[in-house]
Amino acid sequence: MIEAIEPLMTALQNETASSPAITEGAAAALSVGIAAFAAGYAERGIGSAAMGAIAEDESLFVNGLILTVLPETLVILALVVVFAA
Amino acid sequence: MSTAGGSNPEYVIARVRARRSALFGDEEYRKLVRMGPAEIARFMEESEYETEINALGSRFSGVDLIEYALNANMAKQFNDILDWAGGRLYDLIARYLRKFDAWNVKTVLRGIYADSSRDEVKSDLIRAGEFDDRLIDRLLDATEIEEVVEILSGTMFGDGLEAAFEDYEEAGVLVPLENAVDRAFYEQLLENLVVGEEAEQYREFLEAEIDFRNARNALRIARSGADLDPADYFIEGGTLFRASEITALATSTSELVSKISDSQYGDRLSGAISDLEAADSLISFERALDSALLEYADTLGYVFPLSVTPVISYILAKEREVDNIRAIARGREAGLGPDEIEEELVIQ
Repeated sequence: MIEAIEPLMTALQNETASSPAITEGAAAALSVGIAAFAAGYAERGIGSAAMGAIAEDESLFVNGLILTVLPETLVILALVVVFAA
Repeated sequence: MSTAGGSNPEYVIARVRARRSALFGDEEYRKLVRMGPAEIARFMEESEYETEINALGSRFSGVDLIEYALNANMAKQFNDILDWAGGRLYDLIARYLRKFDAWNVKTVLRGIYADSSRDEVKSDLIRAGEFDDRLIDRLLDATEIEEVVEILSGTMFGDGLEAAFEDYEEAGVLVPLENAVDRAFYEQLLENLVVGEEAEQYREFLEAEIDFRNARNALRIARSGADLDPADYFIEGGTLFRASEITALATSTSELVSKISDSQYGDRLSGAISDLEAADSLISFERALDSALLEYADTLGYVFPLSVTPVISYILAKEREVDNIRAIARGREAGLGPDEIEEELVIQ
C-alpha cells in the first residue's frame, strides 16, 4: 500500500518546492497588512485617551497627536520587509 | 475594563486625570488660608469654579456664595464623568456616586431633626446622585421624618429606613436612620461586583472604606457614651471587624485602636493612631482615615490605570478639595488663624 502512495508523495513534494503556497510578494503584503492592523489597534486606545486630554487642555494637542501616531512606526518597519523581499 | 471593543475607559480616565491635576495643591491652599471669604471667592473665580461663581455671584455673597458654588461645581463635575462614561465603567461610577443620594437623604433627615429651613437644607444638597430633582424637591418639602421614610419607600434606602424608623421613635436620635442609609449604600456597592483582578482590587478598596466607616462609627458611639449597641450599626462587607466583636471593641477605645494598628491598615495610619492615643481627639483621626483612603485609591489607580479606580480617586480628591475650601472659608469667617485652619485640611 505504501508503495502505491510513494510516487504520489514525491510528486507533491516536488510541486511544493517549485511553487510555495504564498509567494514572497504576498507574504510581504501580508506582513504589512497585519502590522497596520496592530498599529490601528494600538492607536485606538491612545487616540481616545489623547482626545480626552485635549478636551480638557487644548495645549496638549501636539503631544496627543505625536503619541497617537507613534504606533505607525510599526507599519513603517513592516514596509522594510517589502524591499527586502 | 474595556467593554465591547470600545476605548471608553481610556477617554474617561485621560479626562479625569487632567481634572485631577487641576485640583488645588499645597501652594494654592497656603494662599487660600490667608484670604478672607471675598478674596477666596475671587480666587475661585479665576480657577475652574469660574462658571459657578459667576452664575451665583449676583444672588449670594461671602461664605454662602463659596458654599453654593462648591456644591454646584462638584455636582457638575461628577455628572460630567457620568456623561463621558459608558458600559461597565458607567455602572461602577454610578454605583459609587449614589453616595450623594445617601448624603442628601441624611442631610434632609438632619435638617428636619434640627428644624432647619428648607433653603438651608437645600444649599447643602449635592445633586450628583441618581435621585432626580423632583424626588429631591419632594424630600425637601417633607416636614416630618416619617414623610421622608414614606417618600423613599421605593428606593434602595426604603426597607432599611422603615426598619430603622421604629428605633428612631424609641430612642429619639438620628443614628439608626443615618446608619440604615449608609448600610443600604454600601450593600448595593458590593453587590454583583464581577470578579476579575481589577474588580478584586476595587473590592479591596471598598472594603477598606467600609472598615474605616465601621471604625469611625464604633469610635463615635464609644465616645458619645450614648446607650447604643454598635453591632446594630455595623456595615457588612468589611474585612477588619465582625459584627459580634464590634460591641466589645467599642466599649474600650484602647482595644479598638490596637485592633486597627495591628491590621493591614496599621502602617498607613500609624501617625494618626499615635495622635489619637495622645490627643484624645477624634477629629484628627477621622482626617487621617480620609487621607489614608485617598492614598489607597491613588495607589490602586496607578496599578490599574484603566480600571474604575482612577475615577474613584478623583471623586475622593474632589470631595476633599470641596471640604477643604469650605473649612477654610468657614474658618476664616469664624476668625481662626491660618495655622489653625491648615491643621483642619486634608492635603495629600
